[in-house]
Amino acid sequence: MDFSFTPDQTLLKNSARAFLDEHCKPATVRLLWDDARGESESMWKEMAQLGWLGLSLPEEHGGSGLGMVESALLLEELGRAAYPGPFWPTMLAAAAVTDHGTEVQKKRWLGAIATGEARAALALLDADLDWNPDAVATRADKTSTGWQLTGLKRYVAWGHVASVLLVPARTPDGVSLFLVEPGASGIRWTPMMNMDPGTRLADLTLDRVPVRSDDLLGAPGAAAPALHQLLRRGAVGAAAEMLGAARRCLDMAVGYAKVREQFGQPIGSFQAIRHKCADMLLETENSHSAVYYAAWALDAGAEDAGTATSIAKSYVGDASRKVCGEAIQVHGGIGFTWEYDLHMYFKRAKALEAQYGDADFHRELILADVAG
Amino acid sequence: MDLNYSADDRAFREKTRRWLEANTPTDDLKTLAERKAWHRKLYEAGYVGMLWPKEYGGWGATAMQQAIVQDEMARIGAPPAINGLGIGFIGPTIIVHGTEAQKQRYLKKMLTAEEIWCQLYSEPNAGSDLAGLKTRAEDAGDHFVVNGQKIWTSSGPIADWGILLCRTDPKAAKHKGISCVLLNMRQPGVEVRPLKQITGHSLFSEVFMTNARADKSDLIGKLDEGWAIAQTTLGYERGGNSLGRVTRYAIAFRQLVRATKQLRRNGRPLIEDPVVRAKMGRLYAELEVQRYAGLRVLSALNKGDSPGAASSITKLSYTEFEKRYYDTALEILGPWGQMMTAREEFEEIDTSSGEAGTWATAFLWARAGTIYSGSSEIQKNIIGERVLGLPKEVRADRLRS
Ligand SMILES: Cc1cc2nc3c(=O)[nH]c(=O)nc-3n(C[C@H](O)[C@H](O)[C@H](O)COP(=O)(O)OP(=O)(O)OC[C@H]3O[C@@H](n4cnc5c(N)ncnc54)[C@H](O)[C@@H]3O)c2cc1C
Repeated sequence: MDFSFTPDQTLLKNSARAFLDEHCKPATVRLLWDDARGESESMWKEMAQLGWLGLSLPEEHGGSGLGMVESALLLEELGRAAYPGPFWPTMLAAAAVTDHGTEVQKKRWLGAIATGEARAALALLDADLDWNPDAVATRADKTSTGWQLTGLKRYVAWGHVASVLLVPARTPDGVSLFLVEPGASGIRWTPMMNMDPGTRLADLTLDRVPVRSDDLLGAPGAAAPALHQLLRRGAVGAAAEMLGAARRCLDMAVGYAKVREQFGQPIGSFQAIRHKCADMLLETENSHSAVYYAAWALDAGAEDAGTATSIAKSYVGDASRKVCGEAIQVHGGIGFTWEYDLHMYFKRAKALEAQYGDADFHRELILADVAG
Repeated sequence: MDLNYSADDRAFREKTRRWLEANTPTDDLKTLAERKAWHRKLYEAGYVGMLWPKEYGGWGATAMQQAIVQDEMARIGAPPAINGLGIGFIGPTIIVHGTEAQKQRYLKKMLTAEEIWCQLYSEPNAGSDLAGLKTRAEDAGDHFVVNGQKIWTSSGPIADWGILLCRTDPKAAKHKGISCVLLNMRQPGVEVRPLKQITGHSLFSEVFMTNARADKSDLIGKLDEGWAIAQTTLGYERGGNSLGRVTRYAIAFRQLVRATKQLRRNGRPLIEDPVVRAKMGRLYAELEVQRYAGLRVLSALNKGDSPGAASSITKLSYTEFEKRYYDTALEILGPWGQMMTAREEFEEIDTSSGEAGTWATAFLWARAGTIYSGSSEIQKNIIGERVLGLPKEVRADRLRS
C-alpha cells in the first residue's frame, strides 16, 4: 500500500511545473485567449519534444506507454497553468485508437499524434445533451463506399485545430465510432464563445458526411464499452486539471492573506479568512486523494475503477468550484478584475465541470453501481 | 503509487477475519464485566495495544495491521475494545514521559482493561482554551492535595484512574505552572456525577475533587511542565482507526439503501426518486473520498512519516462529513429515521466508549465529533497557522502576556 508518487512520477511533475512556469505563464494564456486559434503551435511542438503527447501511447508507436497516474500528474500541472489547448481530447482519442484501432489506423494516427503533427477532437454530445453513450442519436447510414453521418453534435472542443474527429453515431447494429475529417463535405461548424476562452467550443452539424469504411473504429455497434472507457478516462483527467486549478487558487489566496493588511493586521489573521483557507485546503487535499485513487484504479483495473472515476469527477467538480470561488472572496475587489489572474483558473475549472459528464450524471452512475 | 495491499497484509487480514468469525460474541454485551472479558480476549489475540512496544505489553504491530483489525471488526460488527482514551492517549503519554515505576505499575492493567482510565482535562471555564484551567494541586510533602472541578469526563462513572491537568503554580503565566498527574478515582475526595447526553445516555460526567490525594510519584514529567505533555497527548496519531470508521459508514450506507428500497413515498420506493438518488450518490462519493484519504494517511504512517498538524485536516474532514452524512440520511428517511428503535441492527457508533443505537442516535452522536478533541474551529485555527503558515490571530490573552 503506497499512496505516494515514485521518483519518476515526481520528476515528471516537477519538470512539467518548470516547463509551464516558463512557457505557459499567465501572460501567455492571456495572449492565447485573444488569439483566433486559441492555442500555441510552438508550445504543442515543445510538448511533443518533452514526450507529453506520447506519454500514454504504446512504445511501438513512439510513445512511453505510461498510465493514467502519469497523465493525471501532467494534467494537474496543466490545470494549474490554465493551459489552453487540445491536449486531453487528443490523448483520449489516441487512447481509443490504441485500444480499438486496426494496425492501419494506429499507424496513421498514433505516430502523428506523438510527434505533434496531429490533434484530435471528440464529438460526444448529441442534441439532447445526454452523456450516456447509449443515447447517441446521430445516424450512420451504410453507403456503397462506407458510411454517411447525419446529426448534430454539441459543444465540441478544439474541432477547429483538429486533424481528426472521433464521432459516435448509431448504425443499425447500434452505437459505433467513426474517425471523421473535420473538413469533410457536409460538415458545418458553428463556433461559440465560452466563458472560459481557454476552451474553444463549436457545434458540429453533420449532413450526410461521407466516411470511408476504413474509418470505422472497432466493430459496428460495439462502441458503447469504448465510449464508457473514454468517458471514465476523460472524467479523471478533467478532475486532475480541476485539482490543479484549485491548488493554484488556494496558493494565491493563502499568499494574499499573508500580505494584505486591513484594520492594522494581515487579513489572514482574521478567522473568517483563515478558516476559509483551511476549508479550501481540506477540499483540495480530498480532491487529490480522489483523483489519484481513481487514476490508480484505472491503471490497476481495480474492481471499483468505474465508481472511483465518477466519484473523482463529481467530487472534484464541486470542490474546485468552491475553492476557486472562495479564492476570489479572499481577494476582495481585486479578485473580481480581469487583470488579476484568478479568474483564469476559476473559469477553467468551471468549464471542465461540464465536460465528460457533469456531477449529476456521475452521481447517478455511482448510485446505480452501488445500489442498483 | 500502488494501492494494493501487500501479500503480508492480505494474509494478516485473512487470519484476523477467521479469528473474529470464530470468537465474536453473538449476543449483545450488556454489562461492563462482559465487555471487559471480550476486551481481554481481543488483547490476548494481539488486537489491542497493537502499536505499543512489546516491552510494555503491546504487540509492536504496524499502523496498517491495526487499520486492518479495525476494518475487519467493523465489517463483522464486533463490539469494540474499551479503555480507548487510556490505550490511545494516556498510555502512550506514560510511555514517553513516565518513570519506569509508573510504566510497570499502570501500563499492563490499562491494556487489559483491568483498570479503566479517563481524561480529566476540560473544566467548566476551560474547554478549547484548556490552559485556562483552575483545578489546584497543592504541595503536601509526599503528595498533592487536589481541589477543583472537571467536566465532560468520558467514562468518568466507570473509571479507576484519570490523567489530570492541574495548576501547581498559580502565580505563573497561563501556560506555565500546569502539571500533569495521575489521579486515583476511587477515593473519598473524588465525586463523579454522570451527565445525561443528548442521546439520552450518560457516558460523560462531572468530576468534583475535594481535598483529593495524588501521590507525587504519580507526577508525569516535571513539576509545572504539564502543558507541553498535554500537547503531546493531544497530538497522538489516530490514523489506525481510519479504515474501521469508513467501514462503519459503508455498512450504514448499505442499510440506507435497504431502507430506501422498503420505504415508499408518493407511490414508489424512495430509491426510485431522482432527488433521493442524487443525494445518495453524493453521500457515497463523499464516503469513498474519506476512505481514499484514510488510505493516504495510512500509507504515510507506514513509511514512518508523521502527519503532525496535517492530522487536523483528517479530523476536520471526517467529523464534518459525519454530520453531513447523517443529516442527509435523516432527511431522506423522514420520520422513520427519527425513531429511537428504527435501526437496532446498527451495532456500534464511532466513539471511544461506543453506544449501540439507531439512525437517530447516530445522527445525534455526529454532533460530538466536531466538538471533542479540539473543535472544528480549533482545527481550522491549527491548519491555518501551522499547515498554511497564516499569521497568528490577535488574541486578548496573547496581548496580556
Ligand atoms: C462527547 C464528548 C466527550 C468528551 N470527553 C471528554 C473527556 O473525556 N475529557 C475531557 O477533558 N474533555 C472531554 N470533552 C470536552 C471537550 O474536549 C470540550 O467540549 C471541547 O474542548 C470544547 O470545549 P467547551 O465545551 O468548553 O467549548 P468552548 O471552548 O466554550 O467552545 C464553544 C464554541 O466556541 C468555539 N471556540 C472556542 N475557542 C475558539 C477560538 N479560539 N476560535 C474560534 N472558535 C472558538 C468552539 O469551537 C465552540 O464552537 C468531551 C466533549 C464531548 C462533546
